[in-house]
Amino acid sequence: MNQTDLIIFAVFFGALAVTCLIRLVAGPTGADRMVAADTADVLLCCAMLLFSIYSGRGIYLDIAIIGAMLGVVNTMLVGRFLAKGRREEHAASADDHQ
Amino acid sequence: MRKTKFPAVIATFIVCFAFWLLLTWTVDVQNLIAGTVVSLLAALFSARFFIHESAFWLANPLKFFVGLFYWVCVFPLDLIKSNLRMAALVLGGCKDVKPGIVKVPVSLKSEYGQTALANSITLTPGTITMDVAEQDGQTYFYVHCIEADRPGAEAGESIKGRMEKWIGRIWK
Amino acid sequence: MLHLLMIISDVLIGIGAFFALIGVLGILFMPDVFSRMQASTCVTTLGIIGVCLGALLHAIFIVGSPSSAVKIALIGLLVLVTNPVGSHALARGAYRAGIRPEQPMEIDELGRDSQ
Repeated sequence: MNQTDLIIFAVFFGALAVTCLIRLVAGPTGADRMVAADTADVLLCCAMLLFSIYSGRGIYLDIAIIGAMLGVVNTMLVGRFLAKGRREEHAASADDHQ
Repeated sequence: MRKTKFPAVIATFIVCFAFWLLLTWTVDVQNLIAGTVVSLLAALFSARFFIHESAFWLANPLKFFVGLFYWVCVFPLDLIKSNLRMAALVLGGCKDVKPGIVKVPVSLKSEYGQTALANSITLTPGTITMDVAEQDGQTYFYVHCIEADRPGAEAGESIKGRMEKWIGRIWK
Repeated sequence: MLHLLMIISDVLIGIGAFFALIGVLGILFMPDVFSRMQASTCVTTLGIIGVCLGALLHAIFIVGSPSSAVKIALIGLLVLVTNPVGSHALARGAYRAGIRPEQPMEIDELGRDSQ
């Protein structure tokens, strides 16, 4: 059966994920980079899902599930880190003032 | 640290076991035993983080079907509408964005309801829930909105839309 | 019949690809962090819904393997349920870390209240 359309879409999603890396390199702050990385993760999941149907191998689907799970954990960790780090810095500078 | 409650463990165990069955997609004895042990361990360790209120709200069929109807039939319409709005903004060159953070009063009381409302607001492109505060018994969400032209409670009605009414039917 | 199904699934995946393109363009060209987050929500809602529905049709009717169909549906559900939590945590962390847009926001009630 002709399934060329699937591989075309998969390559398109992969190209979009690579385009996200521009923001990952250029982003002025850490949060920018994390947004770009999270989006690239979701796009790569889409690409892997399509490629799995194209090639008929189920293993890519498992990789995509793990990627989707761990991407969210990464984002949450960076968010918690940003929130916490600043507060401790505040506390340190308040100590300096006293 | 909260105590681990028995119904919470049972509910988490059921969810974990269903996930295990769906992911492995084979039914034989070894597989079932391994799945039971692993999901029981996972439920024992993690139930107290997930479930704080009544564990078996899904067992009420009326609420289940109201929830199913809302998230399958009603919510996608809002989602498509705001996605098209965001597409128009981006294709128009990202120029006429007007970001701002508004404070929205929320009338839902339970943890499930507030979580579901916050997630639905964040899932709609154009609004992100940023923080939760409680003043004088009234809960407020701070919502980052990409087109914030009105402050406070007026903007809240257009942000929450139909979501709060529907989620209030499920969780109060 | 099979051709019609293939066309429908192609259209669904195409809708997903269009909204993914919108999201990536928004990430590249939006002016500040929080607006970029808003644009990236496009990818994780209609983008992934379109791709998963199209791939689901493909897996059920054309390839005919129920296990991969279940996994595809699980991927869609996981991304839809867990991704708002991540972007909520990231937005809160970015605001607390003192990241503000270059052009000050006109309505900023969180900044007003946390003074």
